[in-house]
Amino acid sequence: MDAQRAEVRALEAEIAALRRACEEPRAAGEYGWRARKSLREMYQSDSEGWASSKDLRSHLGHLESELLFLSTLTGISIRNYSMKTEDLTNTEKTEKSMKKVLQRHRLSGNCHMITFQLEFQILEIQDKENLSSVITDLNIIMEPTEYSELSEFVSRAEERRDLLMFFRSLHFFVEWCEYRKRTFEHFKEKYPEAVHLPEGAASSCMVVQSARQRGFELVIVWRVQIDEEGKVLPKLDLLPKAPQRALQLDRNRVLETAPLGFRALLGTLGIEAALESLIKSLCTADYDKFPANMQACDLPHKQLLSSADRRHL
Amino acid sequence: MEWANDGKSKGGVLAHLERLEIQVNRSRKNLEDLQRAQAVESALRTKIHKLRCLRDELRAEVKQRQARVRASTASVEHDQTLEISEQEVMERRQEKVKAILQAYRFTGLSGKLTSRGVCVCISTAFEGNLLDSYFIDLVIQKPLRIHHHSIPVFIPLEEISAKYLQNNIQHFLFCLCEYLNAYAGRKYQADRLQSDFAAFLAGPLQRNSLCNLLSFTYKVEPRSQFLFRARLLYKDLTTTLPTDVTITYQGMDALSPSWEEQRASHENLFFSKPLHQVFTSFARKGEKLDMSLVS
Repeated sequence: MDAQRAEVRALEAEIAALRRACEEPRAAGEYGWRARKSLREMYQSDSEGWASSKDLRSHLGHLESELLFLSTLTGISIRNYSMKTEDLTNTEKTEKSMKKVLQRHRLSGNCHMITFQLEFQILEIQDKENLSSVITDLNIIMEPTEYSELSEFVSRAEERRDLLMFFRSLHFFVEWCEYRKRTFEHFKEKYPEAVHLPEGAASSCMVVQSARQRGFELVIVWRVQIDEEGKVLPKLDLLPKAPQRALQLDRNRVLETAPLGFRALLGTLGIEAALESLIKSLCTADYDKFPANMQACDLPHKQLLSSADRRHL
Repeated sequence: MEWANDGKSKGGVLAHLERLEIQVNRSRKNLEDLQRAQAVESALRTKIHKLRCLRDELRAEVKQRQARVRASTASVEHDQTLEISEQEVMERRQEKVKAILQAYRFTGLSGKLTSRGVCVCISTAFEGNLLDSYFIDLVIQKPLRIHHHSIPVFIPLEEISAKYLQNNIQHFLFCLCEYLNAYAGRKYQADRLQSDFAAFLAGPLQRNSLCNLLSFTYKVEPRSQFLFRARLLYKDLTTTLPTDVTITYQGMDALSPSWEEQRASHENLFFSKPLHQVFTSFARKGEKLDMSLVS
């Protein structure tokens, strides 16, 4: 009985201890909370901590928006970039006052649908008076595109190590291609029966067929060329096709002289109006319900292109 | 029996009964005591059982609580590591974005957002040589406005901005790029000619501020007495090769056919090659000539 009483006492004591322990968890939780709070305080006082992570987030947000802005502004987005430098000052026997640094850059990105990957080296030479930076090596890798015109231009840019020209010409090239596409689409939409785009709107070729006079066809080949200096110029040619019999009847050699006439037309009217008048001349009967002076879609470069056309064509 | 003869024995019966009674009472009391003790014991047993149950419950609860506390502290630590790695990710991204923003200068156009718009930096280069850069501070509002810029006055900025600034800012900037790069390229060629080929020049090289009209007198070899006069005009301000080249022979009135041939070939050279490269080819020819004289 005494043993039982002793057990009861022991149990009661244990229970009391356990009850206290059960009260404690609230305190333990409190401890955890306090610990977290103090940790946070610790981090807040630490410049690399949570408070600065908020700053970091907002700073990063700012940088990201700047990046987005730049890529919209230039039309060029850079996805990856890295640079390594190598100090050549000591490796070569140079004058003491001269400092030579070789930078190796890698850059990849895209300009609209054209993706590029660049590797180039810049040699920086600093002497007492001035600093010169020269690109000593330029490699351009581009994914094969439908634009075959670009490959020749790329090798020229590499040869001349002209990085800025590469980007400038690429921009103007893409701008012209987009304009050509929009113009072709516009005419296809406006004259769906007469205008055909056999290789799609992004190609260099538009075909105008007369619905009434079968066999008559005007093929317009619009190329975007990049010259030696990196200047981008449109080049339009007209290839008329007619049945043999019609050619025999063409005493005034209208069809033969049409390509030259088209050139003259381009020079005076600009690309859009020249194309419009060409389509109309072949399909007057089909489209006479359209007023003759109907304007083409309002393209943002219209002014620029018509003036540029007159200059270059 | 004894108690029949003895008075005591009479009293002895009673006393016996008394004793018996006491015995009975005693044993009843003993029994009651025993019963009471048994009840106490069973009560104790029940109590112990209950207490044990309670203790076990409490033990389990304590264990649970401890586990929860442990988990919560662990989660605090976990949160911390998560937060740090997220921070690392952000830091890495920040470095990457910063580098890419820097790399934009290689496209010719880079920039920084300002409180009112953007400050665009236009880099120039001629072939591989990275040259000066210019800035143009734009206020983004309708209509777009140029706030400040460092573009030389002779660049037709007003004309370009009137044409394109409001309707196509991208085209405006690349156009400006074209003008500035062409100017930088022409200036670079003229500078190189003056600095590297001074021995070939007779008198100073004359140029206008745009460097689109150059004139100079030169000889094909440093020791030569025969002088040519060159006049190069770059009508298109976006080019680095001349649109008009006039080479005249100075000195003799009548030009021999071989000199005329040379003059014409020079014209072609100036049309197709940058100035300093033309003179590099002169120098190389001179070397060859020297070599042929030696051998």
